[in-house]
Amino acid sequence: MATLLSVEDLTKYFSGLVALDRVSFEIREGEIVGLIGPNGAGKTTLFSIIAGSQAPTSGKISFEGRDFTRVKPFRAVHEGIARTHQIPKPFLSMTVHENVEVGLRFGRDRRARNLENEALEILELVGIPSLARMPAAALSVGDLKRLELARTLAARPRLLLCDEVCAGLTESEMQSILGLLRRIQALGTTVIYVEHNLRAIVSTCHHVIVLNFGKKLAEGPPEKMQNDPAVIEAYIGKKT
Amino acid sequence: MVRALPPLLLLGVLAILPLSDLGPNSVKVLFLTFVAVATSVGWNILGGFAGQVSFGFAVFYGLGAYTTAVGINLGVSPYATYPLASAVAAVASLLVGLPTFRLRGPYFAIATIGVSEATRVIMTNLEFTGGASGYRITEHVPFRQIEHYYTGLALASLAVAVSIIVRRSRFGLGLRAIRDDQEAAADIGVNPYAYKLGAHAIAAALTGAAGGVYARYAAFIDPEGVFGFPRSVGILLMPVIGGVNTISGPVIGGGVYGVIEEELVARFPQLHLLLYGVLVMLIILFEPGGVIGLLQRARRLALRRKVASWQPS
Repeated sequence: MATLLSVEDLTKYFSGLVALDRVSFEIREGEIVGLIGPNGAGKTTLFSIIAGSQAPTSGKISFEGRDFTRVKPFRAVHEGIARTHQIPKPFLSMTVHENVEVGLRFGRDRRARNLENEALEILELVGIPSLARMPAAALSVGDLKRLELARTLAARPRLLLCDEVCAGLTESEMQSILGLLRRIQALGTTVIYVEHNLRAIVSTCHHVIVLNFGKKLAEGPPEKMQNDPAVIEAYIGKKT
Repeated sequence: MVRALPPLLLLGVLAILPLSDLGPNSVKVLFLTFVAVATSVGWNILGGFAGQVSFGFAVFYGLGAYTTAVGINLGVSPYATYPLASAVAAVASLLVGLPTFRLRGPYFAIATIGVSEATRVIMTNLEFTGGASGYRITEHVPFRQIEHYYTGLALASLAVAVSIIVRRSRFGLGLRAIRDDQEAAADIGVNPYAYKLGAHAIAAALTGAAGGVYARYAAFIDPEGVFGFPRSVGILLMPVIGGVNTISGPVIGGGVYGVIEEELVARFPQLHLLLYGVLVMLIILFEPGGVIGLLQRARRLALRRKVASWQPS
């Protein structure tokens, strides 16, 4: 399949500290790609740079063959890259429905249409249609994660960047979110998915990229990554 | 539609009120209140809807006032000077906003104080408008207070209409998103910088027109009066009293302020700024929602009483 996103020698310094060190990879259209690595490996920084909220120190990003290296976040959304946040950032003065409406009216597809129905469809997809009229401020953590995902999906991304959507969720909540990611992918959206939980990655992703200390450690199919000695060492430590 | 009834009723009463025998002083107070409401509602579009607290709205009020004053003296029809006053203020708002909207929260607020004071100093030293000694408007038509009254009423109504339209539009939704969480707004496709500039321009245009309408009535303006820091604080205070980020709050705040301000300044010429400061602190500490917040609280309390006293029959 065609390359959707390509990242070349991406480097990011935070005043002397290297957060990303010449990271390169390509994402093919239609896949779910897992991005794993220990805490502080640079996963979220990588997301922020692809989504345009931070500028890289050097390196290049292209999306559908066009240069996206220093794209503004709202421009990235209009062109089809949208992200979720690790800690949900709902619009707290709004209802669940209004949150989704922001995504629908400011995202990639901004033509006039039936917002009411579309919002409800998306809320049904993520499993919280009954909460549509609730104030976002009244939601539980699990529901806030679903809302975060719903609002991002409302922007109609072609590439969805999912930052730890399962952290802090129960096993059954996690399974339903993973099922949701597979459904989103089946509907034609490419997904990059940051996750700590290796089991979640293996069960969901086609391809895995492993980051450690800002460097790309390995990449390949999930089963292979799971047994890669370098990956195991980064996660658990060296065998003595 | 039921909700639209009380404000329309109020508008109707205000429209026919001058037919009764109001004294010139009451008409004056009402006129000043209309001007106050227009600036209050204008400020709320940026400070309330978009959540960007500015201490610099005297800049737009003053520029509007001087634009109208100079325009009338050059022979332009007063009514043609008001859109001009709006346009000058809106352009100024872009010049102010381009650098200051790079800043957030209190840093933005402090920067607007600086811009406001700088403008006052420039106007105090501008020869062409008489500098610190002020500027007089000479009109060769008889003064008709009632004409000013209706101009003020029309201006205040226009401001409220603009505020309602903005609130209900896609633009207004974007401003709400920015107010709630600017990063999240940008990450979902809202351009925060452009939206803040837009809200600033609309707010400044209304404030500039209000300055112009006031200037023609006063017939004499000076930098201390229209560009002074107390003016900026007053414009910010009104929506805070009434309840920011609502449609009716700034109208209520403007009404309260318009009626009591003259009295306060007359009684406590040195102290009235201090009183404002204390008032702002009390509101922020005890009822950040202003009058609207108080009313909502009272309604909830009444409802709770009702529930508590309910007996199954």
